[in-house]
Parts: sequence; C-alpha cells; structure tokens
Amino acid sequence: MHDNVRCASVAAVIVLALSGGASAMFESRDTKLQAVKTVGIISAIGDQFTLARAGLTGLDNSSRSFTISSWGLDDLIIQQATAALSGRFQVKPVSYQRAVFASIEESPIKAVELVRGDPFKKLVKTEVSPQGLDAYIVITKAQANLGGGRGRKVEGIGLVTYRAVLESYSQLYALYEIRIVDGKTFDMIEKMAAAPLDNAANVRLPGPSRLVDENLSIGAGDAGDENMHRAIVDLIVRSLPITLSDMHLR
Amino acid sequence: MAASGQTAFTLPAPPFELPFLPPLSGSWTVTIGAQGQYQPDFEGAKASMLSAAPIFSIHRAGSADPFRSPLDSASIALIDFGDLRAGPAAKFVPARLQDGHPELFGLGDVNAALELGGFIEYFPVDWFRLRNETRAGLGGHRGVVSDFTADFIVPVTRGITISGGPRFAWESTDAISPYFSINAAQAMATGLPMFNAMGGAHSAGAGMQVKYQINPQWEVHSFVEYERLLGDAANSPLVTVRGSVNQTTVGIGASYSFDVKIR
Repeated sequence: MHDNVRCASVAAVIVLALSGGASAMFESRDTKLQAVKTVGIISAIGDQFTLARAGLTGLDNSSRSFTISSWGLDDLIIQQATAALSGRFQVKPVSYQRAVFASIEESPIKAVELVRGDPFKKLVKTEVSPQGLDAYIVITKAQANLGGGRGRKVEGIGLVTYRAVLESYSQLYALYEIRIVDGKTFDMIEKMAAAPLDNAANVRLPGPSRLVDENLSIGAGDAGDENMHRAIVDLIVRSLPITLSDMHLR
Repeated sequence: MAASGQTAFTLPAPPFELPFLPPLSGSWTVTIGAQGQYQPDFEGAKASMLSAAPIFSIHRAGSADPFRSPLDSASIALIDFGDLRAGPAAKFVPARLQDGHPELFGLGDVNAALELGGFIEYFPVDWFRLRNETRAGLGGHRGVVSDFTADFIVPVTRGITISGGPRFAWESTDAISPYFSINAAQAMATGLPMFNAMGGAHSAGAGMQVKYQINPQWEVHSFVEYERLLGDAANSPLVTVRGSVNQTTVGIGASYSFDVKIR
C-alpha cells in the first residue's frame, strides 16, 4: 500500500516536473510579454528611397536610390510607436547608432542566417543604452520578393514601376519589420513584418503598399516630392498600430 | 497567387508556440482551387486521360509567389539572391499500373517513385527564367533525372501574364529502364521485342501558360506542355509499337484567395 502511494507520489512529481518543463519550453509570447513593464524603441528603417523597375525592363534594370533623411521617418515611427504603446508599457528613451542598425543586411543563404543568429539581438546588447529595460522594440526595413514572375527583391521605402505590354503602373511601399527583444536574455520574443493594408488592390508586395493612381500623383520623384512623402507617412501611420496590435503589444 | 485584399476570418492564436518556429500571429492568405488536366495515360502512351487535382496554399499575406511553371516540382529556396535561387526539390511520380491499360499487359507494374534533389534558377532579366532540377529516384526507379526549362514571362496587363519556352530532360539508365526496357519475360508475355533502354536525352519540347488575375481574390490559369520523347525512351517498342513519342498535357484551373488574421 505504502509502495503504491510512494509510486503515485513519484509519478505525480515527474508529471508536474515534465509539465512545468514543457510549459517553459512552449511558453507563449503572451506569457513572456506579461512580464514586460519597461520598453525602449529603436527605429532604423533607413533614410534611402529606392526607385525600381520590374516587368518588361531593359537589360539594365538596376535600381536608383536617393536620401530621404529630411523626411524624419524614424523619428515619426518612434513617436507613433510610443503613443501606441504608452497605455500598456513604460516607454523609456534609448540612444543607439541608427546607421549601425540600418546597415544590417539579411543573408540570401538561409543556413547563414541560422548559424549566425539574428544580428539585431547582438546589436541591442552592445549598441543600445540604457541596458536593463524589460524589452526593446526594434523596427527595421524588411525585404520582399516582387513575385509575379520577377526575380527581384525590394526593401525598405521605395517605388517600383511595373512595365507590361499594354500598360505600366507604379506601387509605393514601406516594408518594415518589428522585433521584440528580451532586455535581460536578449532572446527574440517575436518578429513580424508589417502586413499589407486591407485596401491594397492586387497586392503583390508583402507589406504596406499602395498603387500610384489618380488619387496620388507623383511629381519629381525625389526627396522634395511632398505627395510621395505624405503617401509614405500615411502607409506607416496606418500600418504601425495594426502591426503592434498583431504582435499583442497593444 | 495574388493575396486577397480583405480579411475574411479572425482566429485566436494557439495557446502555445513551438520553439524555433515563427509565431502564427498576423495575416495569412489562404488559396484554394482546383485544376483539371488532360494528359497521357502514362509516359509514352498514345491515349490520354482527364484528371483533377486540388490547389491549396497558405502563406503570409501579400507574400509574393515567384514565377512557377507547370513543370516545376515542389521546392524551397534556401538560397535566395532574388535573381538567383536554389534549394531542395521533390517530385512524386505515381505508380504505372498495367490494370486498365491493355498496352501494358505483361509488362507488370512499376511502383511509385519519390524523386529528391535540388533546383537552381536564374533570372538574367525580370522577364526570363532559366531553371534546372536534378533529382534522384527512390522506389519505382533509382536513377537520376535532370530537367532544364527556360521561360519568357510577359506581363500583358497588370492581371494577365503569358509565359512559355523550351524544355529538355535528361535521364540516367536507372531512371529510364523500369519504364521503357523489356526483358525476356516481358517480351514473352507481351509479344514485344526485348529492349534494353539506356540513359541519355529523354525528351525535348515546349510549354506555354496564361494566368489571369481577375481581382485580388480570383485567378484562372491555363497551360499546354508538349514533349517529344528522345533516345531510348522514343526507341522502346512500348512506344514505337503501342505508344507515341508525342506527349501533350493541357490544363486549366481556378483559385480563390482570402485572408485569415490570427490574433
């Protein structure tokens, strides 16, 4: 009888230990986020605007870029994210080298990405002050294939013009991704790319984008183009709260 | 496939997440559809049959599918420079059963084969793709198959894309022999002469595909692929006496895409 009770107790302890281990192993993002009280926001989507061509291009289909640092997109993102997150978290100002975060490029070889791990975790540990916040929200440019028969990639902020036999059309995009990095362990709690907005027509880009149509005329196509500036700001302002919400940060 | 522009469903997130896998939260595009195709009964057959297959895919909302030709096997790009992509590829080759095909009586069945290998594709310009798939067989054959395709991809409007180009296939002796060799016992049973099929150039042909994305939800497509058997596949008595070197496949399909949001 005593042996049976002892066996049952041992079994119960083992089951509890295993279930505890399993729950730790399969701990959900929400569980991890519940412990987060203070966050710092890092934005480095870069200050480059890319003009790309796709579809029936000539042999030289290289892209052209110009600086849009005067648009202050990263400051806008921090401001918007702070406003969105302040209800739930204490958002602390942080300092970091924006150019260092913006210069990180995704490796085209998946195995390299797996071996080296996410470079932003290391940067949060070495390049951000103050350390010791519960989590850091890192917002950087995202990369995407153009798809639809095109062997091209675009990233960050830009405009792609598709040339077809009977028409040509352009699409503005603001591709970015958000990471939540644990401020103590520097593990990645979550990473998500901003999704297309619901009103996007015939979406071909996996991120916020919109067609250039009669409602949006592009002028000079440079940093001085206010319509283009406003359209990009609109994409970011509308998509950022949705993405933060999808990550259960709001 | 095009991504849907409207979220159809919102689902709760699962209660836990698996380590090393990205979380499921966010917007996903689900594509469902069907494709019917009229193709030779078996490789080298003179008669054709109608078959249907479902279309199903799920991917992050808006994720742009790279160009796919009807001949492409299932593949994942582990190396992706945008214009140069490579990774593993797999293809299922159904069993060739003699039941229901009088021209095969006496040859016996050939088991289904799983072909595993890799692919590499290169876009020198946006509108032209070169691709090679090289796969080794398991099961029905244990040879090596190498498919070469080239496709010109012409967007006509933002919704209509026409593509097509030449095809060429090479197969090793072990890949061809189970389907085209005739041993002494088979010769006795079928009345066909004995034949020892050797590897080499297997087929050459051309294909064409039209895709019409009606709106962000609906897409229809149609294709035709023609190949002419070459080498010992074409010289086999199974083909010269009872079959045809001309192999044509015609297909048509439609798909519907919608978004699902997982909170």
